[in-house]
Amino acid sequence: MQAIRVENLSKTFRVKRKEKGMRGSIKAFIHPRIEEIQAVNGVSFSVEEGEMLAFIGPNGAGKSTTIKMLTGILYPDGGRVEVMGIDPTKKRRQLAYEIGTVFGQKEQLWTHLTPYDNFRFFGAIYDLSEEETEARIGELAERFGLAAFIDTPVRNLSLGQRIRCEIVASLIHKPKVLFLDEPTIGLDPVVKENVRELIRQMNREEHTTIFLTSHDVGDIEKLCRRIIIVNAGQIVQDDSVEHLVSHYLDKSPANMQAQDRACAVKTGNGEAQARTLEEIIVDIYKSKEDS
Amino acid sequence: MLTAVKNQMRVCLLSVKYNIMREMVNKVTFLTNICFMLLNNATFLVQWIILLRLREDVGGYTMREIMLLWGLTATSFGLSHILFARVFSLSELIIKGKLDSFLVQPKNVLVSVLTSSTDISAIGDFLYGVVIVCICRPGVGGFFLFLLFAVTGAVIFTSFALLLGSLSFWFVRMDMVQDQMVMNIVSFATYPDGIFNGVTRFLLYFVIPAGMTVWHPVHMLVRFEAGMLFTVLGYAGGLTALAVAVFYKGLKRYASGNLMEARL
Repeated sequence: MQAIRVENLSKTFRVKRKEKGMRGSIKAFIHPRIEEIQAVNGVSFSVEEGEMLAFIGPNGAGKSTTIKMLTGILYPDGGRVEVMGIDPTKKRRQLAYEIGTVFGQKEQLWTHLTPYDNFRFFGAIYDLSEEETEARIGELAERFGLAAFIDTPVRNLSLGQRIRCEIVASLIHKPKVLFLDEPTIGLDPVVKENVRELIRQMNREEHTTIFLTSHDVGDIEKLCRRIIIVNAGQIVQDDSVEHLVSHYLDKSPANMQAQDRACAVKTGNGEAQARTLEEIIVDIYKSKEDS
Repeated sequence: MLTAVKNQMRVCLLSVKYNIMREMVNKVTFLTNICFMLLNNATFLVQWIILLRLREDVGGYTMREIMLLWGLTATSFGLSHILFARVFSLSELIIKGKLDSFLVQPKNVLVSVLTSSTDISAIGDFLYGVVIVCICRPGVGGFFLFLLFAVTGAVIFTSFALLLGSLSFWFVRMDMVQDQMVMNIVSFATYPDGIFNGVTRFLLYFVIPAGMTVWHPVHMLVRFEAGMLFTVLGYAGGLTALAVAVFYKGLKRYASGNLMEARL
């Protein structure tokens, strides 16, 4: 079954433009100039249940806007969206029971309260009984190793601990699809690896579909088998990570491990040189910008 | 349906409880906020005591009516700011794209937003209002009537702020207009309506709803009129319906944002 189905999705923002300085401000005050920015332009794709998908692109490519339309935060201007068979524009509340969201740059937790109190609040939001909430907190706290700081106010936690708590809060109701918008932003390599392992575990044990956006190639390599690259609001690449690497390196998939990061590629003079998935992605971004 | 309402109420009460728990983290600030608000309100009554020693009434109001005026304004304002404080910063939430976390929850987005914050100093307003009205000895019936008008007043305060705040979906910097207009209700409502005439009086009843929030109710606490009661109830209901409709119409234009933020 398809967890996410998107057809011809579009979103336009109206943005005020102003010339430089005070004169520009006065001109804009009298005759405001409004420009339309096409953030997402005719995007179509689908994601199978249990799949782990990386949805990446340069800043301003339309990744977050797409995620926000899939989760019911933004209304699309055109196209169709279905997540677990539910249209977010029509049944936002019903959809919320099926999905979890982690926005690395935005906190959902109450910072003055402890993770435990936060989880109880989220349990109530998702209509879990006291017993169900307690059982789920116990289960997730053990799996995510929260015991040492579950009673410490969120504002006193390290970033890594906080992100783990954010993920637990988003999993309290056993969502079928988990949207992760840059979940490892600002984390050190050890904590990043820890968070990735927890995400892998959720996918493996609860068959959670993972929709991930990240600028960290490590997240993509270590978590996802499929990658969608967007630029200027359009999909420019939809491929498996393995095939992407092999295609761009012109080598057989059998010899290629995406996780290896350093891959051999033939250069003009025939010498082998190290090339990473990150470099391949940057090349794709640049080639699409040039075109 | 009933279960959904019950669950929504459970979350609202938990939200208000957590808001108060959050504020109680700092005991000194918590108590001084409440006490200073009580003191602040009391100083205004002293001015009226002095003024009403110089003349018998102002705009037809004696000291008892002035106390009812202040009591009802403080209680309505307090109740609105204890339960629905977030509505008074709704403009900022919309402009800075901070509604995201409410929109991914399976609950009524408006109710979740409104109950997501509590203004602790408003407890001082609320207590002050109740004490002042009790001093006026309105009787048992009068006290229940006062409680009813405290609720309708809080509903009008909240709906008025919601209506103006929701305009931020269309216009930037409505936060200043929202702040100014809401404070205008308080500023005008704490003066006797008898000193306003003509267009000003009309505006203060229907545009800046000081009349419906406080003046009509005070008149009814002095001498009850059923017609006036229905006018106040109708106005509160109509304004709420309008504000909610404008909010949901605007929500379709919500543009979110990418600012780094924390839920404080």
